Amino acid sequence: MNERYDVVIIGGGPAGLAAAIGAREGGARVLVVEREAQLGGILKQCVHDGFGLMRYGEALTGPEYAARDVDRAMGLGADVALCTFVLEAHREQEGFRLVLTSRSGVREVHARSVVLATGCRERTAKQVFIHGDRPSGIFTAGCAQNLVNVQGMLPAKRVVVLGSGDIGLIMARRLTLEGAKVLGVYEARPRPSGLARNIAQCLDDFGIPLHLGTTVTRTFGRDRLEAVEVCKVDERMQPVEGTEQRIGCDGLVVSVGLIPENEVAEQLGVPMCAETHGPIVDQQLQTLVDGVFSAGNCTSVNDLVDYVSETGLRAGRAAALHALRQQGRSLREVRCGNGVASCVPQRIDFGPECGEVTFYLRSDSDYRDVEVLFVSQGEVLARKRLRAVRQAETVRVAADLGQMGNRVYVSIAGSGHVKGEGNG
Amino acid sequence: MRLERLQRELRKLDPRITASERDGCVLLEGEVDDYATVYAAGKLAVDKDRYLGVLNDVRVRGFEQHVVLPELRDDALEGRACDVLVIGGGITGCAIARELRRHQLDVVLVEKGPDVASGQSSRNGGVVHVGINFSKGSQKLAYCVRGNAMYRRLSHDLHVPYENKGQVTFARTPIEMLALEYVHRTALQKGVVRTRVMSRDELREVEPSVPEWSVGGLFMGTGGITCPHLMTIALAENAVENGAEVWLNTAVLGMEVSGGLVRAVRTNRGTIHPKAVVNAAGVYADVVAQMADDRTLTIHPRVGTNLVTDKKAGWMARTGLGKTPFTLTPHQLGELPGDPVSLVKATLASAHSHSKGIALIHTVDGNVLVGPNADEVADREDTSTDRATVEHILANQQEVQPELKASDIIAYFTGVRSPTYEEDFVVRPGIRTRNVFEAAGIQSPGLTAAPAIAVDIAQWVRAYLSEVMEVVPNEAFDPARAYRPRLAELSLEERAQLIRENPDYGEIVCRCEGISRGEILDALRSPLPVPTVDGVKRRVRPGMGRCQGSFCLPQVMRIIAEEIGVPFEDVVKGTEASRIVVGPKK
Repeated sequence: MNERYDVVIIGGGPAGLAAAIGAREGGARVLVVEREAQLGGILKQCVHDGFGLMRYGEALTGPEYAARDVDRAMGLGADVALCTFVLEAHREQEGFRLVLTSRSGVREVHARSVVLATGCRERTAKQVFIHGDRPSGIFTAGCAQNLVNVQGMLPAKRVVVLGSGDIGLIMARRLTLEGAKVLGVYEARPRPSGLARNIAQCLDDFGIPLHLGTTVTRTFGRDRLEAVEVCKVDERMQPVEGTEQRIGCDGLVVSVGLIPENEVAEQLGVPMCAETHGPIVDQQLQTLVDGVFSAGNCTSVNDLVDYVSETGLRAGRAAALHALRQQGRSLREVRCGNGVASCVPQRIDFGPECGEVTFYLRSDSDYRDVEVLFVSQGEVLARKRLRAVRQAETVRVAADLGQMGNRVYVSIAGSGHVKGEGNG
Repeated sequence: MRLERLQRELRKLDPRITASERDGCVLLEGEVDDYATVYAAGKLAVDKDRYLGVLNDVRVRGFEQHVVLPELRDDALEGRACDVLVIGGGITGCAIARELRRHQLDVVLVEKGPDVASGQSSRNGGVVHVGINFSKGSQKLAYCVRGNAMYRRLSHDLHVPYENKGQVTFARTPIEMLALEYVHRTALQKGVVRTRVMSRDELREVEPSVPEWSVGGLFMGTGGITCPHLMTIALAENAVENGAEVWLNTAVLGMEVSGGLVRAVRTNRGTIHPKAVVNAAGVYADVVAQMADDRTLTIHPRVGTNLVTDKKAGWMARTGLGKTPFTLTPHQLGELPGDPVSLVKATLASAHSHSKGIALIHTVDGNVLVGPNADEVADREDTSTDRATVEHILANQQEVQPELKASDIIAYFTGVRSPTYEEDFVVRPGIRTRNVFEAAGIQSPGLTAAPAIAVDIAQWVRAYLSEVMEVVPNEAFDPARAYRPRLAELSLEERAQLIRENPDYGEIVCRCEGISRGEILDALRSPLPVPTVDGVKRRVRPGMGRCQGSFCLPQVMRIIAEEIGVPFEDVVKGTEASRIVVGPKK
């Protein structure tokens, strides 16, 4: 089999679905490749609401949010390959060759553009160096969520949650609602990582204690988890001796960060960004490899699905445009200045059609009353005033930069550093 | 050492320890406050010329070895008679069971864990050792060299990955290079072939990751790697294919010995009546030898932790590499006071450590293993990991591979080795009990040595059994394990062909390792199926990758539940008590 598409999208989660919509709207022939039996990605197991507040102005559940995109993409006539896995991805003369496998065999497809929408995975207990025995009962939050919401199982009865990211908070609530006792949420940093609304709705409303500056250091139990050891940490995130405390529990749910999944990107030789751990992209989400686009959480981990969809849509449109009318780029570099931990895009394709560029920033700390400054060749190109910036939340800024040099520096300026709390 | 002198030395160490002679061994007794004293006493008592071995029964106040036993109690084996009972499903026991089936013998293997390779056989670096560091005349050297030479054929027969890319040991100074030259000269006398002293530039041809501080080193061409638990499982499966029985979750609890023979072996599943018994009980080999009234040794547990990197860091080692045992890295040197005496002391201490100096190992799966350390501990079953050890290993090995970062590490594991105080294998027919055969004290290079040990043990067992029964060759013996595809190794055409025959091979369950449903079902339908999450993971790798099973765990559980016909909530991780979920939600 030798099939040709204008745009092949790898991943059928929110980023991939939005890319399919964007690319179909741009008139391209589109194939979405999805590993699982259903489209929607991780949204399928996110039964809580709160999705789509920005995009639709209403709070949808994960499956509801995904269904809207699935309907739209199908309605526009995107092809979908379900239960299909990308074995190989190669560049070729005019585009790309992908080798796919599924129950029906091995097939090759050719694409003018590729959109990577492969999402992210969770950092595991081992990767944050929790030591001790290796019993059952230790789950990443996403895995626990799957067991509860997809498999209909209760993973544990007495649970300690490590990590105050949104998934951790939501799982604390979900497990409580399903009848488990959540003994506490532990967070090594001095401040919670999740959205403020999730702290209120998932912990406070259920009386679940949040222990900041405290982490899980050890697990006990040969067969099934019997207890964990928690410990205070110092400013350098090192456990403080003498503060160890043993907590009896049969479940440990870790929500300690997400890592972009970029195995296909690496096969295609796409250069990566050290800060985001995803591909370096321009404002159209095109990577440094012409014709390869990257959208959603494999590009940089987002807190809101709305941003994921936004980048997907933009990447899809641009991928269609690229497929139908390839053109050269004039790339300018965006560098992180003061206060900025990471920034997407890392490049700007500068040209007459450049216009307004949407940036997704992560700050290195919490700030109040600051400005995001875009500076090139000693001149301020644009400035945006922000009342509050939280390290845990993506800052979305749209700016028209006009003329620029080869480098643009984006920084957070002002004296509004939230005092008394270290830079976690 | 004469007994009186030993007693004097022991009094200095701790007056509560007494020494006496028993059955050709030296017996230590008493109760002390810490394990370090127990270990030191055992070391003091070693006298290979005078004694068969050290029986160190000194106890630590307040410490009781907790023996992990299966919960299962039934009488499935009650009254079972057999020709040979092999105790222990590690690589040694499994290799022996397979080897025994080259003759028409009724072979039963019992393993107390929920799977074979439950102990150190799965918790090691998978190195097929060269043997160069073992002393002449030792069993370790002899079996290592013989076993090494058997590996290519064995891995081919059993379809277990094996790579022979060699091992490299780095020297820091020209003096150390001279020492390596000497090691190289002695290698041939030891039967170790294909070694060569190489300059830094030559080394780079075989191992691109040569540390900055190294001037060159020794290349050992017979060094290799395999997958240790897969090799053990393959040996066990092939033993079963050839008619041996493997009983998991089956622990030996006691023996009836009379008239110089083991008459009966009591287990949690009934009493077995074997004609011959093979002791391959790993960390409990001394306990089992004691049951058989044939003990001449003491196992002193020695733990080692290995770190596993993401495959993306796989380039950091092409071979198995490390510094020479007597090399101090620049960092170690920096920590010394600087006088020549402490330098010599530190060098000797380094040279006498029990780690073979292999720091980074490129595995057959493409990850790099980092470690291991070697610490003497009291507990034979504590395989937990701890922060200090992992950080120490990481810091140490960053001297050899500066590119190594904490974020490259996706997992780590600890194994408990089972050395004797004499630091050699005890592979022999029984001394006081005629129908027991010892394969004890097997630790590194046990993985390498196992196939050769199996040959000798099987031969001794046959010779003994020939006195009491007729032993006939098993013409049907097939050394080749039934082939089961590993998709990652196949070409696209071969993969397509397989999927045409069986679409399950087209359904990828584990995204990190690219493992298909078909491969998981194959493992569940193998001659020795272990329908647990760990059993599947160890056979075909879902959950071994960078997500550590976060994505595929529910799917793997679902496949197991459907295949063996149990509810989802009854699927366990490893042991019976390791259920993964509590039950259906309310």
